[in-house]
Amino acid sequence: MHEFSLCQELTQALLQEMARLQPPPSRLLSARVVVGALRQIVPETLIFAYETLTKNTPASGSRLEIRPAPLRLACRACGRQQEIAHWVPACPACGSPDLDLQGGMELYLDHLEVEVDDAPGN
Amino acid sequence: MLREIKVYRDLMGANDEWAGRTRELLAAKGVALFNLIGSPGAGKTALLEALGARWRPKPAWAVLEGDVETTRDAERLQRLDIPVSQLLTGGACHLEAKLVHHALKDLDLDALELVFVENVGNLVCPAEFDIGERAKIAVLSVTEGEDKALKYPLLFREAQAAVLTKTDLLPHLNYRLESCLEALAQVNAQLPVFQVSAATGSGLEPLTGWIADRLRETKAPSSAQARDR
Repeated sequence: MHEFSLCQELTQALLQEMARLQPPPSRLLSARVVVGALRQIVPETLIFAYETLTKNTPASGSRLEIRPAPLRLACRACGRQQEIAHWVPACPACGSPDLDLQGGMELYLDHLEVEVDDAPGN
Repeated sequence: MLREIKVYRDLMGANDEWAGRTRELLAAKGVALFNLIGSPGAGKTALLEALGARWRPKPAWAVLEGDVETTRDAERLQRLDIPVSQLLTGGACHLEAKLVHHALKDLDLDALELVFVENVGNLVCPAEFDIGERAKIAVLSVTEGEDKALKYPLLFREAQAAVLTKTDLLPHLNYRLESCLEALAQVNAQLPVFQVSAATGSGLEPLTGWIADRLRETKAPSSAQARDR
């Protein structure tokens, strides 16, 4: 259920980003977040939180796109780099437990798609 | 007209900022913060009670009790004269850095060496939120099944120690201790595991020894601590 806390952060961030834009957008069409494979986030819950928390805001009615980021490991022993779906305790190639986590903990607002009213005279 | 805007904004940023402030505050005061995370009923409060009753000589400590509702856990610790503040989340499944920071500022940090935060009982969400701790300590009981580390890998990956509680019950359970230890090692090969019983007090000494080592590092910051972060 920490999806709601994270989503509060998310809606606050995207409303701030929208407020900064010139010319001011008339509405938000979509927002994209990148979520690492090790983040224990349930996409449906995050989307439910998003729909709830953006109500009556300039982001109301927009679509939340959740882009998963894979688990990326580099083995310090054999140097092999790989992308995998689930956590493994040891390098699948050489068996060493000395792994460097290079991706999988991402959690950021990546991208916004907004509609801007055409200025008169354009 | 459609416009696409590249943003890149870390959604843990605000929480991590508060966690950073807490780390600065505690470093200045020489206080170590430990974040106890485990399921409801894993024995987190009982572990603190046992430490309160048996740890000698005991460092100057306080406890921040995180719960969704009620002050029952804080009352249990108060009965043992353990200084405790109750943090109620009112529904949230974890503690966030800002709440912990403000609670810490209400403590007399100059008089303390160590603060335990007992996080909300939950193996998932609390592992996601940095609260500015020196170390996360995973608390797991022998009545929960041997494979919890595999099912909730993030906590056991993030933790710097694990405490396996209720070991006095082992003779009565069909529990494969070796499987539990194997699962823990699979997720985090470097994780020290302390097998304790709050009921009998067995196994507490190695745990308090480990904590005391961390306290020494906090008072005299070393390369070890820098490396852990």
